[in-house]
Amino acid sequence: MANTGWDEFEIGAMLRTFEGEAGDTVGTLQEDRNYTQNSSFSASVADWRIEKPVFNKDFCIDCQFCWVYCPDISIISRDKKMIGIDMDHCKGCGICVEVCPTNPKSLLMFPEQADEESEIANWPAKETKEK
Amino acid sequence: MSEMKKIKNLKEFSTSADRFEGANLLCPGCAHSIIVREVLNATNDDLVLAASTGCLEVCTAVYPYTSWDASWVHIGFENGSTAVAGAEAMYKALKTKGRLKQPDRNPKFVAFGGDGASYDIGFQWISGCMERGHNMMYVVLDNEVYANTGGQRSSSTPIGANATTSPAGRVSYGETKNKKDIVAIMAAHNIPYAAQVAPNKWKDMVKKIQHGMAVDGPVFINAVSPCTTEWKFDPKDTMHLTDLATDTLVFPLYEIIDGHELNITYRPKNVIPVEEYLAAQGRFKHLFKDQYKYLIKEWQERVDANWAYLNRREEARV
Repeated sequence: MANTGWDEFEIGAMLRTFEGEAGDTVGTLQEDRNYTQNSSFSASVADWRIEKPVFNKDFCIDCQFCWVYCPDISIISRDKKMIGIDMDHCKGCGICVEVCPTNPKSLLMFPEQADEESEIANWPAKETKEK
Repeated sequence: MSEMKKIKNLKEFSTSADRFEGANLLCPGCAHSIIVREVLNATNDDLVLAASTGCLEVCTAVYPYTSWDASWVHIGFENGSTAVAGAEAMYKALKTKGRLKQPDRNPKFVAFGGDGASYDIGFQWISGCMERGHNMMYVVLDNEVYANTGGQRSSSTPIGANATTSPAGRVSYGETKNKKDIVAIMAAHNIPYAAQVAPNKWKDMVKKIQHGMAVDGPVFINAVSPCTTEWKFDPKDTMHLTDLATDTLVFPLYEIIDGHELNITYRPKNVIPVEEYLAAQGRFKHLFKDQYKYLIKEWQERVDANWAYLNRREEARV
């Protein structure tokens, strides 16, 4: 399938998003779905990024602002908890960092090649508000 | 009628299983997919979707991929609305004849279109759908420009904006015509529900979408969608721009029920001067030259007048 050009298909051929029956999509989380190669979920836009978001769960309050405002469904929230970032689909726009309300922010942008663990170890301290 | 999804707070909302996938080719920081996600996650029902030609359509269906996990029709510039209306008419006919395999599933019919496809090209088709009373929802992703083809002006482009077919320079300040009031036009079809929404006010948005899906008849939704490429701002500022659009009252949030009962659903605590909204975008950069500064004052007057008009309509119930 991956090497078949669009003009090599029979007219009216069907490319399916899911293997077999689609079933109950709305009751199935992404990790439990059976995607085919035709869903863009199987693709990656990781090479679009210049900067990547790094998530520090120590400061996260699970407000889910990043989840609702992420344009690329890259914030993984399960059971009302933010558990991480889907690096295959993140385009590095930085909206999640902008909307994060904690102090210091629990998401920050770093260059793509930065080492996550060392960045989390050197996380900026809490900012004091000037009066 | 199937039961409405209960969304009390954002944590509850975040348990939704998305039916729109990442790795679509929309620009980083595009508000289109934020709006689409909020619309799709507002319901648990089956969906029949269509998209008129525009950024959303071409970026979510690039061979060999699709970003949609629900039935979705890829169709021409003008007829996203009628494609969905046709599907809805067929569904109704089959239901009456008792030929549906699962008659109790109650799918929802939603069409998406950009402002080019809705304000200009698909205008009469949408008008037809609204007039015929199909049980469907039409959502406009209003980024005020033909962003997909390189930033030509549409009838949604506001005064003073720099677009490729109305460029700003020494002799012109850019777009010279004011934006069309599409919600009022659609509400004038006496449809049960028309509303203006913004992705930053997700709760207001979900409430309006759920109301729209619950009513019987055509529903028109206009959603502001800041375009990082054509409005010329940094991708990370999309939500900031949306906040500015709603808090400066450039894009007021309201609903019109049955074509006459207007309710303002969001009143900003601190109304921000329009100047800040204009200053945040590269397309209005030239307005801050001495020569064109009078336009900023005119902008503010226009926004104030519109807000006063909406308030009067809300009070008068007409």
